[in-house]
Amino acid sequence: MRGVVRRFLLMILTVLGITLLVFALMAAGPGGVAAALRPGPGEGESAERAAREAYLEGRYGLDRPTAEQYVRWLGRLSPVKFGRPPRIGPAGERLEAPRAPSPPVLLEWAGVAAAPAPSSDNVGSDWRAAADRAARALAGYFAARAEYEAVLRRYARSAGEVGAIDASGRVVPERLRRRPMDPSNAETPAVVEAARRAAAAHGAARSGCEAYGRALKTSALPSAGFVIVPGAVYLDRPDLGMSFSRGRPVADLIAEALPITVLLNLLAFALVYAIGIPAGILAAARGGTWIDAALRAVFIGLWSLPIVWSAVMLQGFLAHAGRLAWFPPTGLHSPGADEWPMLPFTDESGAWRAGFLGDALWHLCLPVACLAMGSFAVLSRQTRAAVLENLHADYARTARAKGASERAILFRHVLRNSLLPIITLFAGVFPAMLSGSVVVESVFNIPGMGTLIFDAVMLRDREVLMASVLMVSVVNVLALWLADVLYALADPRVSVA
Amino acid sequence: MRGTAEPGRGTASDRARRVRPETVAALSWLAVAALAAAVAPIVASGHPIVLHRLDESGGITATEYPLWRMLTGADRAWLIAGAGMIAAAVMGAVRARRMAWWALGALVAGGMAAAAATAPRPRIAVFDYAERQARGEVRAVYTLIPWSPNERPGDRDARMLPPGIFEDEPLANLPREGVADDELFDARLWPVLVERVDRLPVPSATRARIVQRLADEHFTRHGLSGGEAERIARDCLRGGRRHLLGTDAHGQDVLSNMIHAARTAISVGVVAVGVATILGVLIGSLMGYIGRWVDGVLMRVVEVFMGVPLLFILVAASAVLPRSLAATMLVLGCFTWMGAARLTRAEFLRLRGQDFVLAARAAGLPTWSIVLRHLLPNAAAPVVIDASFSLAAVVVLEASLSYLGLGPPGRASWGLLMQSAKGEAGDFAWWLAVFPGLAVFLTALSYNIAGEALRDALDPKTHR
Repeated sequence: MRGVVRRFLLMILTVLGITLLVFALMAAGPGGVAAALRPGPGEGESAERAAREAYLEGRYGLDRPTAEQYVRWLGRLSPVKFGRPPRIGPAGERLEAPRAPSPPVLLEWAGVAAAPAPSSDNVGSDWRAAADRAARALAGYFAARAEYEAVLRRYARSAGEVGAIDASGRVVPERLRRRPMDPSNAETPAVVEAARRAAAAHGAARSGCEAYGRALKTSALPSAGFVIVPGAVYLDRPDLGMSFSRGRPVADLIAEALPITVLLNLLAFALVYAIGIPAGILAAARGGTWIDAALRAVFIGLWSLPIVWSAVMLQGFLAHAGRLAWFPPTGLHSPGADEWPMLPFTDESGAWRAGFLGDALWHLCLPVACLAMGSFAVLSRQTRAAVLENLHADYARTARAKGASERAILFRHVLRNSLLPIITLFAGVFPAMLSGSVVVESVFNIPGMGTLIFDAVMLRDREVLMASVLMVSVVNVLALWLADVLYALADPRVSVA
Repeated sequence: MRGTAEPGRGTASDRARRVRPETVAALSWLAVAALAAAVAPIVASGHPIVLHRLDESGGITATEYPLWRMLTGADRAWLIAGAGMIAAAVMGAVRARRMAWWALGALVAGGMAAAAATAPRPRIAVFDYAERQARGEVRAVYTLIPWSPNERPGDRDARMLPPGIFEDEPLANLPREGVADDELFDARLWPVLVERVDRLPVPSATRARIVQRLADEHFTRHGLSGGEAERIARDCLRGGRRHLLGTDAHGQDVLSNMIHAARTAISVGVVAVGVATILGVLIGSLMGYIGRWVDGVLMRVVEVFMGVPLLFILVAASAVLPRSLAATMLVLGCFTWMGAARLTRAEFLRLRGQDFVLAARAAGLPTWSIVLRHLLPNAAAPVVIDASFSLAAVVVLEASLSYLGLGPPGRASWGLLMQSAKGEAGDFAWWLAVFPGLAVFLTALSYNIAGEALRDALDPKTHR
């Protein structure tokens, strides 16, 4: 039991490591996480653009160091959160005042003092109006900042500052700061003016955000989450972010896709074990005969079979409308299946229909077969090896000597002892199958996690990308932990360490 | 190997000598694939080997060698690697085995590294040799498969064509639905075509047959569009060769693509597994030799990498990182090193306390010597066996990524060919599924069989 708990804690550590890996991968791209998520020049309308900037600013802190961006992101993801819990809005959404954005760059260089936050005493308790004001102030600030950066770019270009504009067209403040501003440059007055405006807008945005925060605090809205230490620590559901390409929270997208992928894999898994173990036992029991040799060839063939190929072939030859249309080629449901009852039925014309469930299963036949094919060979080979080894063990010889039948030896003695390595094999089979579902879902057009992440790549939606890789990994790690626990239960000698 | 006097080596050598037929088949396929990769630009190219420029009366005014001229640095590196391979095979046959292995290793590694480093991105191309030939300006001698992998038909009727050889396969099964009336063969083209065929430097019987076919089958009976007719005529002019394994959705030759794709598959596999093995052995030996907290920390790192389903992280990585051949290789290597690390760690833990290591330590050997000279050679067997299985896995992964359209861009790949099997119009182009898929399957299978053979030869513990 202690081992199981220890293992669970290690698993949490692993998940933390995976968040770091995923974030590091995203940050490794040109420009880092923030730059990649930021709308490009001329991308999107100004209102949507500002909303996106505000979102990214709050979630990552756009101009912060990468390490801080990671910590902020992790704070959003973690179910254990620090600080004051957000309020729950009327539609069930989490309401939180946006973090004050970072001030515009190079203010002191341009000789402009940061605007002091205007003290707003007239705090209304109307959080809606405050939210509106904060959003407008933020949008105003982002527009002013974009304008300021554009002017800075012009200045850098006319001042001949090489390297002050990076590959993505953004200003590099460090390069400009090296030399004091050139007063004789034609763009200088414009820079100062734009900096002044950006500083003022920043002050307004900051006070807007603070006012919104105060309004929320005084409002009668209920608090979200489960408070552990008042004002400091609370539990709440992880915030997976917002998908801008689809205009929906990422959590919703994953909640739709993940069950499909898990179902696909569980079905395939059941099939793998249902076929794999008997086939392995058969091969071992007939060890050395032609059956064994044939099964060995089949196993190594199936083991090497690329899922891509089997999926394309099965779909093309068995499901294509132009050929044997035994199975539906793509999707998860027939059109109109939503209105069918669960179980098979006969429609008004007297024709037999499979029903909603049967229809879904029929759609899943080929994908599940594709996923299972490679894995079951691995399992069978392992079973065969384990059974064969045990058949030659001393205890099997003893049983044989005392006159037990071969059948009894195989099923009573050998099989039980051979099952242990089969449980550990879970750790090898499950991740491979999960990653195979990317291909299978893509070929058969099944709206699972693989399709979600593939579409996210195509739409360049990093929020979906990060969250879905993370969630799939969590499922994977949980499954591996479960396998460990099962192993400990099955074999009392093993303390799960 | 040769001596039978040593009693201890008798069984091992016997076992090695009893090479199973499937091992021979597997190694043969790998050799074929590697050879195809090496000589791809010579075997399959749309550039003629010899191109004679002709004057008005048909006399040769100049001679060019476009195929040789178009070879890139990568092509040359591959050819050198191929030559090394053949040399190694020959030396292996005359029993200079050790030298053979070194030659093979050095040349293949050098060639592949050069190929990976220098390979420019091939561009989509439309070649004009056939047209010039048709105009009677040049006479050309083509290589075995007269298509480059990136060669697209110049006309707008790029269609997926099923496999077929011009001489035997009736062209009646060319798709012709969807040809609008106004696109039907333009009668004005006909005399031009006949004239071109008449000027072909081929025996008159062949000329007559080509004209006959053009007239009978393709234009009158099948109502082909002008572009299609042009294309067929052009193929005829090219010595009667058609696409042996058909074309893909862009009208590119499948066989040529498959031969060139062997390069991608083999180089990605070898480099990625090389990166993974080096990384894994490094990390694994740190874990196994130092132990303690280093082992604990690195074990967590291994678990983190194993916790992420491979294809998911690869798809995500392809969205973020620059897409190139080198990036694909590196990314694949950086996410598959865990097996090698775990095996090295286990071997080091097993060997660490053994007498010969203690003796080495007692003799005052430096750590690097103990690790490199004493531990690593004894720990190598499982890692080498695992590398062979990893090669199979990486080849399949590369095909999967390419199928998803996330592989190295602009490069022939078996996975990419499979992508267009499910045609735009909803037809299933079986030849695009069967042939490239079979190549992936055979390569993965061969690596796996080779791995099994290696295990039987190197690992005395496994008894089958």
